[in-house]
Amino acid sequence: MYAVKSVAGAMGLGLIGFYLGLGIVAVLRWLFGYPDPWGGEINIIGGWVLGVFLWLMGIGMWGMWGREWFGLKTYQRNLPGWQRYFTFNTDHKVIGIQYLVTFMVVFFLAGALAMLMRAELAQSGNQFLSNSQYNGTMGLHGILMVAVAVAAVIGGIGNYAVPLMIGAQDMAFPRLNALTFWLVPPVAVGLLATPFLGGIEHGWTAYPPLSVFTNSSQVLFSLSIITFGLTSILGALNFIVTIIYMRAPGLTWGRLPIFVWSMFATSWIALLYTQGFAAALLLILLDRLGFSFFEASTGGDPLLYQHVFWFYSHPAVYIMVLPGFGLALEIIAHFSRKPLFAYKYAVAAFLGILGLSGVVWAHHMFTSGMPNYLHGPFLVATELISIPTGLIFLSALGTIWLGRLWLKPPMLFALAVIFNFACGGVTGIFLADVPTDIHLQDTYFVVAHFHYTIVGGEIFALFAAIYYYFPKMTGRMYSERLAKLHFWWMFIGFNATFFLMHLPGIKGMNRRIADFQSELDPLNLTISLAAFLLGASFLVFIWNMVYSWVRGPVAEANPWQVRTLEWQTTSPPPHENFPAPPVVRGGPYDYGVPGSIHATFPSAPSAGFAGAPAGGGQ
Amino acid sequence: MHGKHLISVALLWAGLTAVGELLVFADLFPTVGSHEAEDFDSIFRFLLILGIPVFTFVIAVVTYAALTWRIRGEAPDGDGPPIRGHGWIPRIWLAITAGLAIFVMIHPGLTGLAKLQSSATAYGWGKEEADLEINVTAFMWQWTFDYPDGTQVSVSKGGEVVIPVDKYVKFNVNSIDVVHSLWIPAFRMKIDAVPGRTTFMTVHPTRLGDYREDQSYRVQCAELCGLDHGKMWLPVRVVTESEFEAWLASLKPQGN
Repeated sequence: MYAVKSVAGAMGLGLIGFYLGLGIVAVLRWLFGYPDPWGGEINIIGGWVLGVFLWLMGIGMWGMWGREWFGLKTYQRNLPGWQRYFTFNTDHKVIGIQYLVTFMVVFFLAGALAMLMRAELAQSGNQFLSNSQYNGTMGLHGILMVAVAVAAVIGGIGNYAVPLMIGAQDMAFPRLNALTFWLVPPVAVGLLATPFLGGIEHGWTAYPPLSVFTNSSQVLFSLSIITFGLTSILGALNFIVTIIYMRAPGLTWGRLPIFVWSMFATSWIALLYTQGFAAALLLILLDRLGFSFFEASTGGDPLLYQHVFWFYSHPAVYIMVLPGFGLALEIIAHFSRKPLFAYKYAVAAFLGILGLSGVVWAHHMFTSGMPNYLHGPFLVATELISIPTGLIFLSALGTIWLGRLWLKPPMLFALAVIFNFACGGVTGIFLADVPTDIHLQDTYFVVAHFHYTIVGGEIFALFAAIYYYFPKMTGRMYSERLAKLHFWWMFIGFNATFFLMHLPGIKGMNRRIADFQSELDPLNLTISLAAFLLGASFLVFIWNMVYSWVRGPVAEANPWQVRTLEWQTTSPPPHENFPAPPVVRGGPYDYGVPGSIHATFPSAPSAGFAGAPAGGGQ
Repeated sequence: MHGKHLISVALLWAGLTAVGELLVFADLFPTVGSHEAEDFDSIFRFLLILGIPVFTFVIAVVTYAALTWRIRGEAPDGDGPPIRGHGWIPRIWLAITAGLAIFVMIHPGLTGLAKLQSSATAYGWGKEEADLEINVTAFMWQWTFDYPDGTQVSVSKGGEVVIPVDKYVKFNVNSIDVVHSLWIPAFRMKIDAVPGRTTFMTVHPTRLGDYREDQSYRVQCAELCGLDHGKMWLPVRVVTESEFEAWLASLKPQGN
């Protein structure tokens, strides 16, 4: 088994690199006369850098890049079957599935942590978790879910679908693409190792000075997130270049599927802002080594961190939610059998949000003690965002109007995105308004709001996309009845949990606490029960996916009768995606337009290609 | 062909809105303990009144469409009409949503902010001369409240923060270690305690209150500050001025 050997070998190399890095730093510290050469956090940093590097070399960077540096020929092994998912594979479809499966596993792990938190919060007082365990659980749930929200749709669905949708054979930089995925395992290991160093004590936001004082798990947290940021930036660059240069002939900007537009806008946000988080955490690491960026007593300023951090982390919510909007609109158009309503306005909405995303960050800091003159401008900029967001709703509602709504599982989830985000958007106004935000800041109202936007907006879209692309990815069909059961179960569980969660927030329950005031006991018990209901719904999903992937009936090339390019090839598509390069002749959503054609495959052999007829849909 | 559907959706929207607006009358808020709390509650209610129709509009269209235009057979029997959404509909939509956004931005957004920052019961700048200034020091994981004549009211369990009713009380907030946040739910006011700078907020309590009867009368830390963040709170009691003087006097022998 080459794949097993390859992964095990790379893990071994990574481990050797880690200890080698520890040792090199220790030797240097010994040479410079430090009393305790092994004991510093800087040893962990050295170990991390060398460990991640050797892991990457072992998993495939040596074969694909390293040999070039010494004038040798590079090589790539294309393994059959499941083994390709465990090797350094440059096929965007393989990478997409690698991302998707990895982050679904992380999603369920982090979801289990949420169940643990809700068990603790079912009653006031501490029952299951000590304060320190609760903080660690909460911090890990937060940062893992942030990672899922950033990477599952972009890395999974984006990687899989974007090259297919634009008629390309692969991404612009396939090797770089594989590299971004193989940076993820060290990130996961680093984050999951934090409980062994005391647990994340500072939540996912890592505000100093707490994150400077806290235990050494902070170092693993920072290193993991900086590495993850690299993944995000390189991936974004790859998407931007791919979308600009790899579109099939005739696929003009005005004919681009809306999901590709959303990925384009998202990638710019990721490319422009991700370094904010990485820089902030790098400064935290330096502070822990004795610098003083954030320590007030030695001339630093804790608020500096919050500005740099939110400068990324607010745009990050658009990195999470824009591809979700894109997917929802995409699926709604196909399953309403109508052209996407007000296409140009939807594109303008994505670009408008891209433009505004960088100037709203300080609405997270209305109570932070920042200068008062900043309140007004950030209130104004934040509320302006509701205008482009409103255009997304225009497009969605206009598309379903008078449509032929085919309520298959992907469509149900896509409609739920619109439903949920309407609630998340309205509650956002309360938090953008300074006078109401001062009370609501850092309460469960905020928790409810961002779960409505990110879970309701993005994770529902992720499930829509999984049910949409499952036949394309695996070549098999899932059980529609179980999928619909999952939908209703999750939809009801989700809304029950998070709608109720607004109430303790208004009443005065702050977030990130293991214990709360006893007057809120009945409410919290109800929320916990609803949360367990939500959690249980995913068991249906897991069973349906695993069983169908192995045993499901063989899927058609185009089971949804969709016009876009990814459905005009076999399920699953061949390595080079299409039998012949497609030429685009018209828009992707021209349902109901007589004689319209999206694309043809001019040089395709007329026989021997099992895909749907060129033009599709009609 | 739109007419019948438009009327049906409008009726559905009106019905849902009527039900939704009942939320405005629900018992949502903690006790109204100060002027600031009155302002918060009225702005919150105002936004709720405006926000519910927006939410129910989306729900009405999605629900109506899913029930009316769904395909009942196994596969689509044809395509919908190719409406592209050019022309006046998107422009009207843009005008209405932009108008709503700008309206909410100005009122209650900027007007509320102006009141918050300029009036006597202010957030940030504060009244020039408050009736009572309390210096608050936050630390992991408790508070110290220093009253003007040097009384240290602290900290451990059993202590309580006592303030007089109908006075402008200004909290000057400091932290000696990490970022904390001073929050009193009954007053709806919150300000972070940041090491290296003094932040402040002013409240004007309008009624008597006591944590023992009402749990929204408490000082709660609202910014994650490590291990015992969840336990970092103190009871608050709002008393009459004479009671306050007596309480302050009673502390002096032990306090100093």
